[in-house]
Amino acid sequence: MSATTGAVWRTAGMTYIGYSRLCASIVRSCLKEPYKSEAAEVEKVHYSRSKWTDGKQPKPTICEDDK
Amino acid sequence: MVMVPATTGLMGILPGHVSTIAELKPGVMSVHEGNDVTKYFVSSGFAFIHANSITDVVAVEAVPLDQIDQSLVQKGLAEFTAKLGSASTDLEKAEAQIGVDVHSALNAALTG
Repeated sequence: MSATTGAVWRTAGMTYIGYSRLCASIVRSCLKEPYKSEAAEVEKVHYSRSKWTDGKQPKPTICEDDK
Repeated sequence: MVMVPATTGLMGILPGHVSTIAELKPGVMSVHEGNDVTKYFVSSGFAFIHANSITDVVAVEAVPLDQIDQSLVQKGLAEFTAKLGSASTDLEKAEAQIGVDVHSALNAALTG
């Protein structure tokens, strides 16, 4: 990864997933109809997350963002 | 030949290219088949160039250029430029900067 393009969002605490999702979301927002509505269908995502503790995976929590 | 927008600059891939992995930035990918050129805008992603003249391109969004609305690009560019000016936290600044970068790339793809 080049230092010039990676640094800004990475040092601000964004993940690659967050960065690429934002880029894709912006591209989708600039589409003509009917492509825009079709692309909007894939916009909704959620994350299932659990922090490994005592050698086991606890019940995951569902969250809307990747922070 | 395939031209991909690598983070290090535009990269042309011909048969027999040495194997490598390139990170892509938002920009135009063009596929050259004889005299035919097909252009797509990719939002980000990676190109995996294999030693056997096969290349995989992975992108979250890849759209033909004629599906992009120029007026929405202009509107978005103005919006994110304003956001960049008023952003206070590092995260807001980074998000606004990404917005400006992606819209600028979209604009360049349509006008260039």
